[in-house]
Amino acid sequence: MGFLSRLASLFGFKKNEANILVVGLDNSGKSTILNFLKQGDKNVPVDTVPTIGLNVEKMKAANIEITAFDMSGQGRYRPLWEQYYKECQGIIFVVDSSDKLRVVVARDELERMMKHPDLERRNVPVLFFANKMDKRDAVSSVKVSTLMGLNEVIHNKNWHIVASNAINGDGIDEGITWLADVMKSNMATKK
Amino acid sequence: MSTVDLAKQPVQENKSEPKPSKWLDAYHDPVASLYTFTQCITLSDIQADGDWKLIIADLGSGSTNMKLKVYKGTDLISENTIIDLPTGVVTFYMDTHEPRTPAIAVASGPFIYIYKNLRPYFKFTLPPLEVNSMEEDLWNQVKEGRINVYVLREMLEGMRTDGTTLTVRSLRYLQLTDAGDMIQFCEVYKNSPLKRQTVITSLNTLKKSMSEDDAISCLVLGTEDKSIYVLDPEAFTVLATMNLPSVPVFLSVTGMFDVEYRIVVACRNGCIYTLKRGVEDISKNCIELSSQIVGMERLNKTIYVACMDQTLKCFTSKGKKMWTVKLPKSITTIEVVDYKPRGFKAILVALSSAEVHVYKEKYLVDIIKTDDIVTAMRFGRFGREDGTLVMCTSSGGLLIKILKRSASFEEKDMSGGPPASQNVKLNVPKKTKLFVDQALRERENGVTMHRTFQRDLYLLRLNTARQYAKALSNSMNPISTDPSEPLKLSAQIQGIGPTFKLTVNLQNTSLSQASTKLHITFDYDDKLYNFRRTYIPVPMLVPGLNYAFETYIECLNDKGVSDTVKVYVLRENKSVPIITGVISMPVSETLVVV
Ligand SMILES: Nc1nc2c(ncn2[C@@H]2O[C@H](COP(=O)(O)OP(=O)(O)O)[C@@H](O)[C@H]2O)c(=O)[nH]1
Ligand SMILES: [Mg+2]
Repeated sequence: MGFLSRLASLFGFKKNEANILVVGLDNSGKSTILNFLKQGDKNVPVDTVPTIGLNVEKMKAANIEITAFDMSGQGRYRPLWEQYYKECQGIIFVVDSSDKLRVVVARDELERMMKHPDLERRNVPVLFFANKMDKRDAVSSVKVSTLMGLNEVIHNKNWHIVASNAINGDGIDEGITWLADVMKSNMATKK
Repeated sequence: MSTVDLAKQPVQENKSEPKPSKWLDAYHDPVASLYTFTQCITLSDIQADGDWKLIIADLGSGSTNMKLKVYKGTDLISENTIIDLPTGVVTFYMDTHEPRTPAIAVASGPFIYIYKNLRPYFKFTLPPLEVNSMEEDLWNQVKEGRINVYVLREMLEGMRTDGTTLTVRSLRYLQLTDAGDMIQFCEVYKNSPLKRQTVITSLNTLKKSMSEDDAISCLVLGTEDKSIYVLDPEAFTVLATMNLPSVPVFLSVTGMFDVEYRIVVACRNGCIYTLKRGVEDISKNCIELSSQIVGMERLNKTIYVACMDQTLKCFTSKGKKMWTVKLPKSITTIEVVDYKPRGFKAILVALSSAEVHVYKEKYLVDIIKTDDIVTAMRFGRFGREDGTLVMCTSSGGLLIKILKRSASFEEKDMSGGPPASQNVKLNVPKKTKLFVDQALRERENGVTMHRTFQRDLYLLRLNTARQYAKALSNSMNPISTDPSEPLKLSAQIQGIGPTFKLTVNLQNTSLSQASTKLHITFDYDDKLYNFRRTYIPVPMLVPGLNYAFETYIECLNDKGVSDTVKVYVLRENKSVPIITGVISMPVSETLVVV
């Protein structure tokens, strides 16, 4: 059984539709994480939705839908990706921990995301992958957490950071389990 | 053309709240010990991996420690020693091999050093120049022992004064003063052939025959012997040589060598020349500046020039001046911003006040404050981020800022310069019939109208003067005009009636002279009012102090009538008062109510 099926089974209730967003700057490792997640789930297709200027990947298993896209610098495509904020119950924010120059850009994007009206007041759990931890010049997940200012930027949401290696899957399991737990309890309280 | 003098109109800081910066601080190393200038920094994808590197020719101390440094992100990944002072660094595609890795070219002395895959690859030497035959002859005579060191020195000195460009060897020789040194110098060098080399002052690239981003490019060099050379990137032969009236210092190149190109050259004589394919007369579109050039950039068809007189000037490619902006401090370097994802074009101007001013056209739109003077800067793609600004400071610091994705630059952001609203046309209403009639009347009767006005004005003045004279003769004024009695009077009425309180304030306005023998008395209608005291003796008035005297007035009339009451200040044995105060009495309230 692949990760995704396991993740789906974690939610238990069949009827729950859960949307998870995978976001981050380009090259942070989102596609690689998605590919890792579907390993073993041979029948799960990864669709690349052809949109101009925005590369969206979608993946669906049982009651879970995962959508990933690049937070690209081109301002005019921003509304395209922000439309996904409304429907999501969980966020995975991927940071390239070896790209020290662009951590500030990732932080800026996170700040804007947290202030977005569709997310600002919702208790959506945010999981951070401090990805590419295997790289020689990668900084620790604690350092990523301080550089991203997670304590200052996120106020009313659960968050968790895990160092990961999307190529061999280190840390992915831990992160996804945390996210599934929080999402599950959020849904239980909603009822 | 317009001139905006920013020195006279300092930029107003936003007092309410500081605007959030438009830049993210990606990296700051104040002790990177990088000493360089704008022409020696470049950003390029030299490993063809989409992760653009920062390439810096570090000037070191200016004579030692000169290095070519390559940064991947914030990490230094390569260092190569450069033998002589670097004057320019560019990257260019010299072949069509895959992967498409550009080569680095470093100009230093008469050489261009080419690096491929971060390793030294080739050294190009500028062709030697012709040696003056007389100079060559002199050194030959030294070699053969026919002239001594003194004669050689004297002859060379003479040639130099005549304006002959000598070889480096002769110039070195002329610096020597000690006979022993001169003899030794001749012994060491007399047998090697005499060569004259020039030095590269500026370096740029020019696409050969295709315009793609990764098309093969020629190198364009400006040299100390007032020439421009275009080099073939594959064979490293000189494709073209162009001569200039002065030494080139900044180059801006567009077009393709095989098709059509344009090289804009800023020279040390303060002129900017435009070289084009097949155009001989370079003086045609020459721009003459009144001050030395410290930087030149081009955005499409406009040329931006920074001068030593603290000005930023803008010209069309035809040499027509568009505008000048005066900056508050001297300019150290300029850089152009052409940020395609947002369509943002601007000029960055680094100042000696440790600030970088951002100009969109002639409007100041942002100021970046740094902790040190910026001597070198490049804007472009670095790592994977398009809007990165790399700056090196005079004390060797390295600063990297990234343009915020949410940043927008508005002309109104900074209040310097003319307001944008100045260019908005006013909605002037149409002329009405009334307006036309009035204008006509005014035109026809102008003289009469003026005369009437003048007569009324004189009458007014006359009346004023009459009243004033009358007041003076009656001493009806509250300030004494008699210099021997400097007094000031003021009076107040308090109360609502029928009893009022009158306070008379007296002040001696002289500096040192006390006033004595004064009395206060009143003039009033005794059918209307009853004064409790009609006479008040005044004590000696000390200069400067304010004295208050009081009396109560009772209003006797119940018909709501009021009158004026006069206060006189008199001197003993004089019947004309020194000053007079006139008080309008208020209507007694209780009587109105009843
Ligand atoms: N060393 C290492 N490389 C990774 C890791 N995750 C992703 N990459 C590489 O980073 C590059 C970008 O990954 P990709 O998933 O396409 O990033 P995306 O733009 O966020 O979708 C690819 O070359 C991946 O192989 C990791 O954990 N470690
Ligand atoms: Mg991807």
